[in-house]
Amino acid sequence: MTVLEEILTSADPNVRDCALESFAEQATAAMLLEEAAAIEALRHRHESLYVRVRALFFLYAIHRFYLPGKAGVPQQALIPGTGVEHLLDRRFEEAIQVFLREPTSAPVSSALGMAYQRQAFQTLADQVRRSVKSVRGNQWMFRCGHPLDYPLRLRPELLEPGFPLLHETTPVRMDLTHSGWSDIFFLGMDYPEGARVLNISVDLAVRGEAKPPVEAFLRVIDEPVLRLTSIDLGASADVTTLREVFNFGEDYLGLLKAAVIASGLVPPGLEGADQPLELLLEKLTGRAGYGLEIASQVNDIPKGSRLAVSTNLLASLIAVAMRATGQTRTLTGTLAEDDRRLVAARAILGEWLGGSGGGWQDSGGVWPGMKLIEGQVATEGDLEYGISRGCLLPRHKVLDRDSVTDDTRRKLEGSLVLVHGGMAQDVGPVLEMVTEKYLLRSEREWKARQDAISVLEDVLAALRAGDIPALGAATERNFFGPLQEIIPWATNAFTERVIARTRAEFGEGFWGFWMLGGMAGGGMGFMFAPELKARALVRLQEILRETKRELEAAVPFAMEPVVYNFAINEDGTRSELLRDQQALMPPGYYSLLAPALLRLDPRTLTPARRAELERLSEAARQTDGFSSMPRVLFDTLMPMRRATAGAGEALPELLERYGFDREQHELIRQEMKQGRIGLAQNRLPLSATLSDVDAAEIADAARDITGAHINRGEAALRDGAVAVVTLAGGLGTRWTKGAGVVKALNPFAKIAGRHRDFVEVHLAKSRRVNLDHETLLPHVFTTSYLTHPGIQRARHEYEGPLLLSEGRSIGLRMVPTERDLRFAWEESRQQQLDERQQKMRASVRTALIGWAKSSGEASDYIDNLPLQCLHPVGHWYEIANLLLNGTLKQLLEQRPHLSTLLVHNIDTLGAAVDPGLLGWHLESGAALTTEVIPRFIEDRGGGLAKVDGRARLVEGLALPQEELEFELSFYNSLTTWVSVPALLKAFGLQASELGDAEKVRAAVRRLAARMPTYLTLKDVKKRWGKGQEDIYPVAQWEKLWGDMTALSELDSRFVVVPRPRGQQLKEPAQLDGWLRDGSAAYVESLGAWGR
Amino acid sequence: MKVRKAVVTAAGRRQRGIPLQTIIDRDGVEKPVLRALLDEVLTGPIEEVGLVVAPSDEATYQELAGEHRERVRILVQTEARGYGDAIACARDFTAGEPFFHCVSDHLFVSTLAPGGLTKQLVELAASEDCAVSAVQATPERFLTNFGAVGGQRLSGRDGLYRIQSVLEKPTPTEAEQHLVVPGLRAGHYLCFFGMHVLPPSVMEILSSNGQNFAEASAELARRGTYLAAELPARRYDLGLRYGLLTAQMAVALAGRDREDVLARLVELLAVTRG
Repeated sequence: MTVLEEILTSADPNVRDCALESFAEQATAAMLLEEAAAIEALRHRHESLYVRVRALFFLYAIHRFYLPGKAGVPQQALIPGTGVEHLLDRRFEEAIQVFLREPTSAPVSSALGMAYQRQAFQTLADQVRRSVKSVRGNQWMFRCGHPLDYPLRLRPELLEPGFPLLHETTPVRMDLTHSGWSDIFFLGMDYPEGARVLNISVDLAVRGEAKPPVEAFLRVIDEPVLRLTSIDLGASADVTTLREVFNFGEDYLGLLKAAVIASGLVPPGLEGADQPLELLLEKLTGRAGYGLEIASQVNDIPKGSRLAVSTNLLASLIAVAMRATGQTRTLTGTLAEDDRRLVAARAILGEWLGGSGGGWQDSGGVWPGMKLIEGQVATEGDLEYGISRGCLLPRHKVLDRDSVTDDTRRKLEGSLVLVHGGMAQDVGPVLEMVTEKYLLRSEREWKARQDAISVLEDVLAALRAGDIPALGAATERNFFGPLQEIIPWATNAFTERVIARTRAEFGEGFWGFWMLGGMAGGGMGFMFAPELKARALVRLQEILRETKRELEAAVPFAMEPVVYNFAINEDGTRSELLRDQQALMPPGYYSLLAPALLRLDPRTLTPARRAELERLSEAARQTDGFSSMPRVLFDTLMPMRRATAGAGEALPELLERYGFDREQHELIRQEMKQGRIGLAQNRLPLSATLSDVDAAEIADAARDITGAHINRGEAALRDGAVAVVTLAGGLGTRWTKGAGVVKALNPFAKIAGRHRDFVEVHLAKSRRVNLDHETLLPHVFTTSYLTHPGIQRARHEYEGPLLLSEGRSIGLRMVPTERDLRFAWEESRQQQLDERQQKMRASVRTALIGWAKSSGEASDYIDNLPLQCLHPVGHWYEIANLLLNGTLKQLLEQRPHLSTLLVHNIDTLGAAVDPGLLGWHLESGAALTTEVIPRFIEDRGGGLAKVDGRARLVEGLALPQEELEFELSFYNSLTTWVSVPALLKAFGLQASELGDAEKVRAAVRRLAARMPTYLTLKDVKKRWGKGQEDIYPVAQWEKLWGDMTALSELDSRFVVVPRPRGQQLKEPAQLDGWLRDGSAAYVESLGAWGR
Repeated sequence: MKVRKAVVTAAGRRQRGIPLQTIIDRDGVEKPVLRALLDEVLTGPIEEVGLVVAPSDEATYQELAGEHRERVRILVQTEARGYGDAIACARDFTAGEPFFHCVSDHLFVSTLAPGGLTKQLVELAASEDCAVSAVQATPERFLTNFGAVGGQRLSGRDGLYRIQSVLEKPTPTEAEQHLVVPGLRAGHYLCFFGMHVLPPSVMEILSSNGQNFAEASAELARRGTYLAAELPARRYDLGLRYGLLTAQMAVALAGRDREDVLARLVELLAVTRG
């Protein structure tokens, strides 16, 4: 048995919990390959799911982190395209087999790493789903395939005359311990002993008295429809077909639909059944022509609160529907323990149906008060027995008053300030990182996990003793200790700045910080001495706002920070049956739906609707909360001038200020409409011959750079012949998913002791060059309308000349055409998602095509904040702008010997002025020397190719056929050494003409006309409501720098550089790998870091 | 255990008209449902039937009992207080003896001779010396119509189960959690067939628990051995929509007019359009 086989299969925890790294770091490539082959065979024959999954993660880590760097492993190779296609289509096993047939190399290892990792997560996800489906009480719903088989009936109380209203109120939950994300299903099912949290049900309010923040309503209606209404999202729909019930993405009612299905009202087995919903409603109500109405309301709690609002809303809706159909023991009041467990299991099912995911503690609001939630070891008789060590559902132990006294509960309420910092975050990548690290048992992280588990004991002890300062100390120790040890990305600059300021202001009276949920920045807790709480409530709001203002250009915030009032809820979810005059929906419901009803002829209203309006009228006169209804309805019914948003007014001014070229815009629109430009037209003609460039045909930094090159480069540096140009005008769409903040300023990682942004990192590298070569490199950051003000305000420190080259070109985004959307989604290869997510995506895309058609294809996109409607026009213009805005002229005046620019993207953290590469470029006499890296699996978007015999860069969107990409060995790092004289020549300019603005403009226009224009689709976020975000695909155009290599008059050379130098950080999910594979350390070694 | 008496309930608000309906039995004889039922119950070990009816129905039922009139005692449920209470009305009639009980809104169709099902159930109760309820494996979509039991199959005994839990008209959610019986098809549960042999203690339980029969049955299971038996027969609930029609067809297809009825069905299928 090999070392890793032993670790994977041992029953002894001391062996089983050994880390892969302790072996892999020391092993040679041959040893690693031998182990990999052994555990590859093991995973196919072993019966334990978790041994198989852990083997997959070991294999992933071997290929992702260890093998590529070992001596003797070739760094260049082609990744087989068939394997990539298997990966895209989620045939991970097939992909693995294709890649395994290839000779060992770093690129193939990158592909194997990805395939193993995806297969591991898919296996885990499949197992959770199987477990959810097989929970007793859930199985029948998957068998029910026809309305005639439908077995549920409404409880008779709901069919009483006047149709009473069943009203469920549910608290949300907060996790007082955060035991290292141990509520991830995979962890609980493999390591139930370590899966423990202390979870508290809480009521909340942003203003006034705290109350259960989640409400659900259900009643019979005298129309044969399923009426779904989300009061807080302002959405309502009458669902009449089964197909609509299963279409989650078409409106904002996805969560209600998931609840309808998971509760069994419309069982999941009916998906695809082409039967009228009316038939099912008739069975359910026992009456023809009747239906059901379900409404939900979340009171003032924004999205991303880390309080599991959406899971508890789902649970609340499921509970109300299960009560109504007799699936719980009680119609009203609280729920029995069995019923709570079933509601929790159904909520997990609902999350799966909706394509989202949560932790197993998330439906904690269903339970009362404080409870310890612990993983359960699967024993004989459990469905999970023999498959996983733990059960899907944990055990809830409600803490009684002997464990935690009333006094302690009041003390906690008197000390804790709950806030939402306002940051918008995607915790999905964090949860994947946690799972991966847990299964790899990396030594530091495994120890940290044990520490986090011990914090739970400290928290429990503090609660038993009523010692809130100790509680605060424990949660803060957890945050700064084990949690960040496991996931460094759990914290961020915003949170740490807020904590530091709070500590500075409140000193000893600030008892501790507490991170809620997946990561900091959204929902957070601060504990204070009780006498300070009133002041803390006010000051914390101000501190959060001030800190947000400082960082909002750099960090995506979804909303203004809020501070909540909160109270412990000792009931859990509960319901009441409202009859007669009490049977009214909340006022928000009527603000949404009553105006349309009032416009109808009263004779056309159903009797139940008429009776309800009578009740509403009565309530408006007599009931608190309804007294403002007449005014609200009056305002809605009467035509009134809408307040024009400041946003709308600012757009024309912005366009004017940034020199928007309306004529060119109209031309592009015309061409888009006529189909002359579009995604399909981005591609090179099929007649173009395209082939790979042989490694021998281009330079290799490792092979070809000599001492003479280094000497020449150093001399040039001393001579002031070089400047650095960092392209920072782009939007970093993938970094923030279209949030429209400045990626360059995003404090993305702790380097040399503190969070640093991209600009700081690039300046630190220039500073290092300055120190090493006794020079002062000029460093230029190109900017755009979006990034310029922020970068200018940030005032980064740099000893040498620091210039901002302000963008002078701007585009106005357009609504895409259906043709382009379909091309992007249906004709281009893209990653298939998991079954449910794929369905969700298809449904959202159908809705977006509908949006594009109804908004007007190729019309201006103006329905967003003005800055979100504009777009920069590609990095080709960022170089042209150096000429247009006088930056190059200024540089040449300051550095008369300037001959070379190192142009690189803001994403390329390893790019720096390397004397050897500089010397090689100068020696070659090339106009442009572009750095390329061997293609790994994640390097998508074109690369270096021979097109009709000439080596040049080709953008991914210009490839005549997508599958050609993986026939190209080298990926473009976008780092280019540019000869200034050759650049000027290409523009047809002399250095002396740079002061002639008209001439320069003409030169730029002339060259621009020779550059291809690409139409692209970008995601843009639109924010609304309380932290809600919609993402729209919008069309924009751009010209790209890499196409300069296609100009025949420019001598373009290419050089292969090591991967850490050339790789780009495009999205936050890459950060952990970047840190673990040594790239972060490499970048740190390149810089001279200030304080 | 010697069982001499039977209690037949016919007082339910929804069911009281059902036993008065006429059917044609498998021998082609036209008779009221009640008569068919009494033929089954009284052709065997049962000596006397206590027929529980609603006030003012006494004469009608007495009349319908026909040739069994002498062996039928009419018992009146003075107020409509449910099924359990109807059984409890026979407390004096059963006089501390175990008794056979069946409902009057079901029709039982088997290949056995009249009385065969009753005899089989009574003999089983006697040999096991415990309460026995006849059950039928029923698809979950019909759960809302019946009481259902959960339990374990007795090893080596075909169609015999030890009852562990009883729920009245459970939802499939409840049934899946509490009533799954190993060996049955997925989505099928043991639902009451409508025939029981009950010990005298059930009367005492009914009077103490507010006359809920399902709860009384569950209590019986807690107190001691209580068996469920699958009989070689099908029961048809006449109270369901098209229940009488279905039952009549089942009887006819099992009897001497099978060919005739089949021919008519085929003709119907041929000439009617969906």
